[in-house]
Amino acid sequence: MKTAKEMGLGLCPECRKVNEMLSTQQRCSRCGSLFFQRKVNSLQYTLAWNIAALIAFIPANLYPIMIIYSLGVPEASTILSGIGLLIDHNLYPIAVVIFTASIIVPLIKIVGLFFLVLKVHLGQRLKPKKHSKLYHVLEFLGPWSMLDVFVVALLVAVVELGFVSTVEAGPAINYFTLTVIFTMIAATSFDPRLLWDEDDTIEIDKPKEEF
Amino acid sequence: MVDQACTSELIACQQCDALYKQPCLNEGQKAECGRCGATLFERKNNSIERTFSLSIAGLLFLTPAIILPIIGVTLAGQFHNASLLDCITQLIGKGFYMIAILVFMFAIAVPTVRLIGALYISYCFKFNKIKPFLLHFFRAYHQLDSWSMLNVFLLAIIVSMYKLLDDTELSVDYGLLAFVLLLLCSTLVSVTLDQDYVWQTLEKECLDENS
Ligand SMILES: [Zn+2]
Ligand SMILES: [Zn+2]
Repeated sequence: MKTAKEMGLGLCPECRKVNEMLSTQQRCSRCGSLFFQRKVNSLQYTLAWNIAALIAFIPANLYPIMIIYSLGVPEASTILSGIGLLIDHNLYPIAVVIFTASIIVPLIKIVGLFFLVLKVHLGQRLKPKKHSKLYHVLEFLGPWSMLDVFVVALLVAVVELGFVSTVEAGPAINYFTLTVIFTMIAATSFDPRLLWDEDDTIEIDKPKEEF
Repeated sequence: MVDQACTSELIACQQCDALYKQPCLNEGQKAECGRCGATLFERKNNSIERTFSLSIAGLLFLTPAIILPIIGVTLAGQFHNASLLDCITQLIGKGFYMIAILVFMFAIAVPTVRLIGALYISYCFKFNKIKPFLLHFFRAYHQLDSWSMLNVFLLAIIVSMYKLLDDTELSVDYGLLAFVLLLLCSTLVSVTLDQDYVWQTLEKECLDENS
């Protein structure tokens, strides 16, 4: 099995045309976009965005995401305590959905990307088929963590339009949004081809160019 | 070294960079990478016609989805409802600019631009009005793909309804129906539009003119 890199070719990430790499930065002959054979500094960028996401995830869970005024008394709830409230009200399906979208998905995503970065960095390949599936899953999961942000947005709007009790969005919503956006950027910075390159290129006389 | 004429007959896997000779596929067939299992290349059925009709349908549902109320609540004898537009104006009024912008971007702007883009592209292909400008247009269109969060927003609407169920009487409005249909059209457009076909045709038509 030959790879495009071994043949001095590169795949345009925009239009998927195979181009001859005449320079390190190649302009695609079909769509005109500039690209590199591999995403430049992919691991560093992925790691940096991932750490940023992890940092933003802490205040996202500590600060209240929603403040409910019942009879004039403000009651702040964080993501976790909000889920607790749902369980108290026996709204299990919604509790599960919110818990999955707000806690499990971002965490899986952050941990999964750390794992992939580490694997590439160490040059280990356990089962590439499994790893590239993992990456697919991570890419797909991304937007779903926006759920809680949208929920609070909708509740604030509906309630503001004239209800007895009022709901206000808490500061956590901004941090949470940042977490989601950072993990999405981290996933797009990661180049899954690096998972395959390592042991293929070792035997080739070319020196390793990236990282 | 491989010359330019040969590279157009090659395809590389996006996930693992494995190089293949471009297969000849009939409509409805797709090729998979033998190394990592990712989809290499696809020929979609009746792509242009379907995309054309779906994007028109989607645009028709767009206005009602934004203007008509999506959630209605009867509380203490009074009826309140909120549309997507109300939602955004309320968030701005409350000073949550970031969330307002996000909701606007992900739930309105990106899906709208994508539908208009798909309509324009399929229109040009349908009536043979292929221009070099389309190369850049399609590239920009392609980048919007991962930023449409209509499906997440729909789930958020459902979750908000559940959360409000407690002490209120809820009603489903036409706005929600329009929103679901909009979501369906928008999702199907990205399924039906055959990117490889569009790119290859554009390359044949536009780049031959240039040379
Ligand atoms: Zn290209
Ligand atoms: Zn592959």
